[in-house]
Amino acid sequence: MTPDAWLLLAVGVVVLLLAAWTAWTLTRLRRLEARVARARAVLDDRLRHRAALAEDLASGYSAALGEDRASRLKTAAYEARETPAWDRELAENALGRELRALPPDVPGVPRELLADLAEADARMGLARRFYNDAVRDTAMLRTRRLPRLMRLHADRPLPRFFDVEDGLDAVPLGAGVPRG
Amino acid sequence: MRIGLVCPYQWDVPGGVQYHVRDLADTLRGLGHHVEVLTPAEHEESLPDRWVTFAGRTVPVPYNGSMASVQFGPVSASRVRRWLREGHFDVVHVHDPAPPSIGLLVCMIATGPIVATFHAATVRSKWLAAWGPVVRPWLEKITGRIAVSDFARRVQVEHLGGDAVIIPNGVHVDPFADGPTLPGVERGVDGPTIGFLGRYDEPRKGLPVLLEAMRTLLREHPGARLLVAGRGDPDALRGGLAEDLRAHVALLGEISEADKAAFLRSVDVYCAPNLLGESFGVVLIEAMAAGAPIVASDLDAFSRVLADGTAGVLVRRGDSAALARALSDLLADPARRAALSAAGREAAAAYDWQVVARRVLAVYETVVLPGAGEVTATDDEAWAEVAGVTAPTDGVLPSLLRRVRR
Repeated sequence: MTPDAWLLLAVGVVVLLLAAWTAWTLTRLRRLEARVARARAVLDDRLRHRAALAEDLASGYSAALGEDRASRLKTAAYEARETPAWDRELAENALGRELRALPPDVPGVPRELLADLAEADARMGLARRFYNDAVRDTAMLRTRRLPRLMRLHADRPLPRFFDVEDGLDAVPLGAGVPRG
Repeated sequence: MRIGLVCPYQWDVPGGVQYHVRDLADTLRGLGHHVEVLTPAEHEESLPDRWVTFAGRTVPVPYNGSMASVQFGPVSASRVRRWLREGHFDVVHVHDPAPPSIGLLVCMIATGPIVATFHAATVRSKWLAAWGPVVRPWLEKITGRIAVSDFARRVQVEHLGGDAVIIPNGVHVDPFADGPTLPGVERGVDGPTIGFLGRYDEPRKGLPVLLEAMRTLLREHPGARLLVAGRGDPDALRGGLAEDLRAHVALLGEISEADKAAFLRSVDVYCAPNLLGESFGVVLIEAMAAGAPIVASDLDAFSRVLADGTAGVLVRRGDSAALARALSDLLADPARRAALSAAGREAAAAYDWQVVARRVLAVYETVVLPGAGEVTATDDEAWAEVAGVTAPTDGVLPSLLRRVRR
């Protein structure tokens, strides 16, 4: 074969490999997008559930909680529900702080409701962690050089992390490492 | 809920992950869920019930001085596919999905909610650093990640991407809490006893440190005895003992599960002088469940299990003088022993399988979107898997094959 033919073959192989890689990466991005969407739906559901329970508590047992706390709780729950989806970390944080400040046992409030609230809070924490995990995986793939260069993501915005305090204890990196 | 658990290690070979999957399955079934297990085994006929599905045998591959079990190929893949199709699971829970095993195959083939637990019991970081990027495309499909310890989570974050919630290993607390004691060794009655459990000829378990501490201890508690249980060479240990210690050290050899519980219920103090990191201190939880006050070295895993020293005494690792001091003080103070025992029982309750399984269930409920349908097997992915054997790097061939099929 002539050198030209070799060159053509080499270019052909490179193009083929690139096409295959692109197809595979697009599959991954599509999967990740679906995963982010599902995780977001669960997170929204958990946040709404928590706000609803908090509102029940505030309106149903305002006397037992004390007027002051009840009204603060009510405002926080309202804010959390009404703030647009993409800008509500602050509102959710305020609600979370109110909820965590509740004593474990308030006279006059059924224990089950408080337990439900604590459970809802913990489950929100789980959903948040899985959502952020999905966002992180997406970001990791999309910020790599080749996918960026080829603009495989088209113009879709990078999904945002959802950062609120949750009940889960953060673990400093470096804990639990065996030392020699 | 219909749950499919995947254990990548041979079911009939003893191992932490196998026990974990077995106990998790039993507990979830007790909570009224439908649970099936897919696992390799050495002998198909050794699998207990119809809820455990045989996935073939693993191939032992010598790796870095130990054996890693590998199971990968079209036959295993078709077994996985059939299990997924016939199971109609709401969620599939894979254990240790990173090595080339049925765990990874399930990640490749399944579509739907996948939960994975990272035990990091047998994987090494050097291997993971190279392997992580290769398997990332499939690990990306995992919706909920669980790590059994801080250490496992760290390995996962560093090498495999993503984050994980920490849900510790479970322990069946009840069998340890109540039952008989060893004959002739009753807590608080038959002279002070100190218990040690583990492979005593492994230096990292720290028995030499404890023996050294015993020497000092005997000056204040001349009747104290050290009971050593676990595997090892008894003659070598006896031969290495100094004359003055010989009468105070009793070797029990390897003991059964039931005897282990009795052993932990009998000793006045349980001692874990380990020098090197255990990824998780299951034996400490078992000792706490049995009400044994604990003196342990200050490994990160141990101090976490012992709630930073509130549920047991922590001693600087390798420091036999400090260990002797701690043991001696504790033996001289029955009130403190009782307090530690009570605190330990309380701490152990958080690790009971009933509690742990409910936390795992909460993870399932977080990844299962109501009405989203069951886990299915994708044929698309099967091609990816076949190709993945020949060209794992960056998954070029899989998509190529997909193109060809269209």
